[in-house]
Amino acid sequence: MDRDRRRPDAQLPLRAVEFHILLSLAGGERHGYGIIQDIQARDETAVPDVGTMYRALARMVENRLIEAAARRPAPDAGDERRNYYRITHVGLRVARAEARRLEALMRAARLGGLLAKGAK
Amino acid sequence: MTGDRLMHASTRWFRLLLRLYPADFRDEMGDAVVEAYRDRAREALSRGGLVRLAAVWVRALVDSLRNGPGERARPAAVWRRSGNWGRDAELGIRRLMRAPAFAAATVGTLTVGLCMVAVVYTVVQKVLIEPMPYRNSDDLYYAWRDYGSIVDLKRGALAGTDIVELQKASAVIEDVAGLKPYLGGVFSLTETSDPMEIAATRTSPNLFDLLGVEPALGRGFARDEVGPGHPNVIVLTHELWNRFGADPAMVGTDVRLNAKNHTVIGVLPPDFAFVRNDAIGPPQRADAYTPFEVDLAAEDPNDGSYSALIRARPGTSPQALAAAVDDVGSTVDARDFNSRGLKLYPVGLKPDLVSRARPALLVLAAAGALLALMLMVNLASVLLARAARREHEFAVSRALGANSVAVMRATLFEGGLLGLVGGLLGALGAIWGTRVLVALAPLDLPRREAIAVDWEIGGVIVGLGVLLGLLAATVPATWAARASLSSLLAGSAVRGGGGHGRMRRGMVVAQVALSLVLLSSGGLVVRSFERLLRADLGFRPEGLLTFRVRRPPEFFPEYADAILFQDRGDRAIAAIPGVTGVSASSALPLTANSSRGAIGTQSEVRIPGAPGNTGDAERDTLLVDAIFARGGYVEVMGMRLLAGRTFSAERPDGVLEALVDRRLARHFFPTGDPLGAKIPFGEKRALTIVGVVEHVRLHEVHQDGPPQLYLHVDDMGLRPLSVVVRTERQPEAIVSEVRSALKQVDSRVPMGDGQTMDKIVGDALRQQQTSAVLIAAFALGALLLAAMGLFGVVSGSVTRRRHELAVRMALGADHRRVLGLVLGEGALLVGIGLLIGVPGTYAAGGLIRGVLVGVSPWDPLTLLAVALGLTFVAMAACYVPARRVLRIEPAQSLRQE
Repeated sequence: MDRDRRRPDAQLPLRAVEFHILLSLAGGERHGYGIIQDIQARDETAVPDVGTMYRALARMVENRLIEAAARRPAPDAGDERRNYYRITHVGLRVARAEARRLEALMRAARLGGLLAKGAK
Repeated sequence: MTGDRLMHASTRWFRLLLRLYPADFRDEMGDAVVEAYRDRAREALSRGGLVRLAAVWVRALVDSLRNGPGERARPAAVWRRSGNWGRDAELGIRRLMRAPAFAAATVGTLTVGLCMVAVVYTVVQKVLIEPMPYRNSDDLYYAWRDYGSIVDLKRGALAGTDIVELQKASAVIEDVAGLKPYLGGVFSLTETSDPMEIAATRTSPNLFDLLGVEPALGRGFARDEVGPGHPNVIVLTHELWNRFGADPAMVGTDVRLNAKNHTVIGVLPPDFAFVRNDAIGPPQRADAYTPFEVDLAAEDPNDGSYSALIRARPGTSPQALAAAVDDVGSTVDARDFNSRGLKLYPVGLKPDLVSRARPALLVLAAAGALLALMLMVNLASVLLARAARREHEFAVSRALGANSVAVMRATLFEGGLLGLVGGLLGALGAIWGTRVLVALAPLDLPRREAIAVDWEIGGVIVGLGVLLGLLAATVPATWAARASLSSLLAGSAVRGGGGHGRMRRGMVVAQVALSLVLLSSGGLVVRSFERLLRADLGFRPEGLLTFRVRRPPEFFPEYADAILFQDRGDRAIAAIPGVTGVSASSALPLTANSSRGAIGTQSEVRIPGAPGNTGDAERDTLLVDAIFARGGYVEVMGMRLLAGRTFSAERPDGVLEALVDRRLARHFFPTGDPLGAKIPFGEKRALTIVGVVEHVRLHEVHQDGPPQLYLHVDDMGLRPLSVVVRTERQPEAIVSEVRSALKQVDSRVPMGDGQTMDKIVGDALRQQQTSAVLIAAFALGALLLAAMGLFGVVSGSVTRRRHELAVRMALGADHRRVLGLVLGEGALLVGIGLLIGVPGTYAAGGLIRGVLVGVSPWDPLTLLAVALGLTFVAMAACYVPARRVLRIEPAQSLRQE
């Protein structure tokens, strides 16, 4: 409601798990374990636990960053049905804002000599 | 397969772990969490077998141990970040779904209660409040004559000349229409088709213009289509037109009314529901309208037989109109009554129409409001009890930082939601409920046809439900917002009731008081109705069939022909097996209006030389109901003859016989014998009193009307009559036989309005019956709510005081003593409630006085009985839960602590 109308900055900073979820969903609808697999695939050292992630999902649904999509069978698990999630416009904007924020910090870190200039 | 078995076991493990999470999270996310764990387990199993799977199990345990309790501490966080109604709604709905019994019981109570409130509200709104469906209906008035000191008649019909005079006051009066019933409405499509009886109204030609109603087909009357010699025209109601096939081509054709051709010039719209208010009796509906065939200006000023409908000029205040009508009255008084004090006065169309139903409706409205109040108190106390059970949760979330607003909102939402659902269901139920009520309601209930739930009423009821819910929830909400850890700890330390206990007890007291008010009103109304049922009507209604015959001069040019027809008809009906007597009169009991009015049968009687005369002309002139009866009427009706003899079929030559009722006899002959006395009649003739009969109730069930004078109709040449048939069979069973007997005698005369006398009496009691049933239902509803409240409080008290009671019992108190302790708490509440309720019953008594008959609004017997009954039910409601103390095992109970 009135949260929707607020600028995306209001939700920043995001927790790592939240950012990862948005990142994952930005690529398309995913079910819960699919998101975890995405995070693993990103070489993230701290892959969140299932409970942690679902609590984050619940909160993000509440805050309209993401929304539940239709339940449907997952292609890789026979005909078992899964709860899918998709990112909302707000979520996308928040994710971009967070990325810009992180980028700015990175730039600052490099300028300050905290990180090697060429480091990725 | 072992893989499947392992997956199955894993699923069960994950589901078990879910228990660590709070219920709302489980509802929302549980399945998805298990799915994700299963995916992880499946992958582990395929990659590394049992060892990997075991690791997943352990990790899931650690994960759940961390996140489950973490999530449990979260409601506080939700509330702290206030402003999320959607979330509150979800939580509220889910909480209610988890307590289906509570939700169903609460919603059920609200639904039934709001449905009753809605039905009453609909009736009151449609009958009393909503404007009549005419153009500027507030400018419409009826006018009546007050005869002042001339004769005791405060509401008399106008003479034709009065209407002409009113029309002259054109400064404030825009238009005036006269109305009177058409006598002898024998209607048929053609000369040879079957006749039927209709109710027709004769009117000034401007009636429809005055009301602002356009005919649906054809046209209304032209201004000059009135008076002697004008062509016969008729406007049909939609209903009558429908009965003849709803053929648009009917406009322009001729129909037969009393053996004369009338041209149908128009058909009224389907929603035209105008009723003609008469000077006495309920308003009358008409099937067709036809203009006067007389010139109003040439009418006899003494012949008061017209209703007058006035349209005031726009913007005229009621006072200005009353002054203008009063002026006209003075003119009439001076011209026609030698300034003896006749007055004319206006009454608004609507107040005039609803005046009879108004007192009962006001009482019902008040009862409805009280019931709504009871519902609110009941809901508040139920919600408070529920909130008390969540005291712990509230206190914890407050301690974790939830603000009071957020806690209140959650509780308010629950109340509002319950109210919303109750209101919706109640409004739906009322759609059906009003139909039932209209079917039961008295036939003369004004605007009956308009009584139905519409969107607006539905909206109001839903709104009322939400409002009740929210108001009810403010009590627990304010209380819950105050709940804190310290108060909780203090509360559990002393085991006393928290603040909510006091509040609930207060509410029970209010409920007992309110239900005493409703019950006492209900008791009085029911007792009054019972009085009515036992009222002495002066005749025996059972076993009587009645119907009307019209004997218009067009069919029977000589009155002797009409008598001959009547005699032959009587003989034919008497020949029907089971019929023991046939007679007829101009005015049946309790229907006086429908057969009188136009006949002008209220007349003045003087008996010169009677011992009761005082010499005061006013005192010695008595306004009486004149009833024209045929021979045998007294016997057939089962009336009681007090002295002399009754009318027989033979009439002695040259003597006009009359019977008088007890009241007339007592007025003129307080001590002496009225038999043989002469009553001057017309210019030269005189009536001879041959008998005295008991007064018969012509107007109301519960009270005598004016004194009565019976004349022999065959002497008087009166045309329309109501025939009464006494039978040993069921009166309904002989209707068709009577109809065919009558048809054989003369096929032109229809049997009009055949009904049993029992039905006529029943219809006369309908209004009181309906209000008695409704108010009794309200009262019982209130009693039930109060009993529920008490049950809840006592039951809660037993739970709360379990420890204390166990200690008492351990110290030697026996069960009876402890039971008495708990019951005493309930009895105290009932007692206080009764004390508070008593002034309320006095106030209510003033309001219901208008609908009571033969019972004082403060009838001590009824009030005592009601108080005792209420106490009994209330104590029973206390006793049932209180018995639970008998099951307390002190040792066990104390060990649990």
